Amino acid sequence: MIFRKKRLIMILISLIILVALVGLSLGDRGEKTMPEKFLHDTVGWTQNIFGKPVRFVNGAVDHFQELYDVHEQNQVLKSRLTENRNLLAENQRLKERNQELRSVIDKAETRSDYEPIHATVIARSSERWFQQMTINQGESDGIEQNMAVITGEGMVGKIQSVSEFHSTVKLLSGFDRSNRISSWVVKEGEDTENGFGLIEGFDEESERLLLKEIPFEDEVKKGETVISSGLGGVFPEELEIGVIDEVENDEYGLTQIAYVKPSANLYNINHVIVVNRSMETVESENGESEEEGS
Amino acid sequence: MSRVLLPLLILILVVMQGMAMNLLPPALIYSDLLFTPHWALVLIVLISMFYDRDDTYYSVLYGVIFGFLIDMIYTDILGVYMFTYGIVIYIIHGLKKMLHANFIVAVLLGALALILADFCLYMMYYTVQIVDVQLQEYVLIRLLPTTIANIIFFIVLYPFVKERMEMWSEQIGQP
Repeated sequence: MIFRKKRLIMILISLIILVALVGLSLGDRGEKTMPEKFLHDTVGWTQNIFGKPVRFVNGAVDHFQELYDVHEQNQVLKSRLTENRNLLAENQRLKERNQELRSVIDKAETRSDYEPIHATVIARSSERWFQQMTINQGESDGIEQNMAVITGEGMVGKIQSVSEFHSTVKLLSGFDRSNRISSWVVKEGEDTENGFGLIEGFDEESERLLLKEIPFEDEVKKGETVISSGLGGVFPEELEIGVIDEVENDEYGLTQIAYVKPSANLYNINHVIVVNRSMETVESENGESEEEGS
Repeated sequence: MSRVLLPLLILILVVMQGMAMNLLPPALIYSDLLFTPHWALVLIVLISMFYDRDDTYYSVLYGVIFGFLIDMIYTDILGVYMFTYGIVIYIIHGLKKMLHANFIVAVLLGALALILADFCLYMMYYTVQIVDVQLQEYVLIRLLPTTIANIIFFIVLYPFVKERMEMWSEQIGQP
């Protein structure tokens, strides 16, 4: 009888602890606590130690496979080279002129300026319901919460939490209503204004982002590119997010919803760039992790 | 010796779980089926079967500690894995006392642990609305593939650790 009672009390206590812990961590806590940061770093280092040899072998296999089509690639690239050289010269010229004009009107910083911080992905959440991964740069490298994370192809997510030497990235596929990105739809080859919208979540079934609140008059079409606008106050301007796949009216018929296919591959990510916006960023007042205040 | 080695081994598996998602071919991992590695749990189940005696509860302790670690590194919500692993290992520990541990029984208990644990996780995440998958869909796309994949891991691990753990088990309590 005594044993039964003891067991019952144990189970009750553990249930209480469970509810307390879950309740504590469900709300947005913002900064991590010290012991959490410490543990996160310790595990991060372990992951780094084990990851190095595995990554090396993985890389070697990839290189070996690439060797096969090197010749073909070389031919194509050579023909593109001259083309690019011209573009480079033109780009240089435009950049200089842009800077000149900017200095004339006394406005040095733009929303699109940023400092890149390079990082390697060392682990990804083994719980598939949590779309997050760990990278090997942290607070000491200048990373802060809510910074945008990109790869060469486009945006992949944002910084969810930082410890001293590692940080956690929330992937685009885990975005919901509380992680909005203010964005523009780039109209091709016209002088017309860009279409405006907010990225508000991810449709898991079709693996596409939801671009909502597009004004009804805006004509957005399939195939147009979506970039960040920088107006949310945290992300810089002109980060590529994705390409529009489908447009439909929303449930009330007042605005439009576009389904956006992310440009970056969200599943096979090895190296990322964390984007530190040069222009002053806006702290959201309520401490919630929103790019766009609601 | 075993006091240091076993936790270290579990830690390595926890770490590997995270790296596996990044390094194994994406086509395999990111198909429509949600394979979820529970390697640490598999090892702890083996510990509870062959290392723990009837009156020692090392495996339950490991379950709680490493469950908490997984909570902290891989998910946002603390306590879910900790509670699940703790309670599942406790049940396995109780069942093992009644059953004679041979290979078939071990595999069945392993499968039971995996199903219980994964379902428990689903229930809790469903309650706090992290997931909104319906039960039937969940069983098809996640529970079955996860259980099968982890049982394979269990069977592979079994011959390597069984003898060794039984040997270490006899050393418990000796100075």
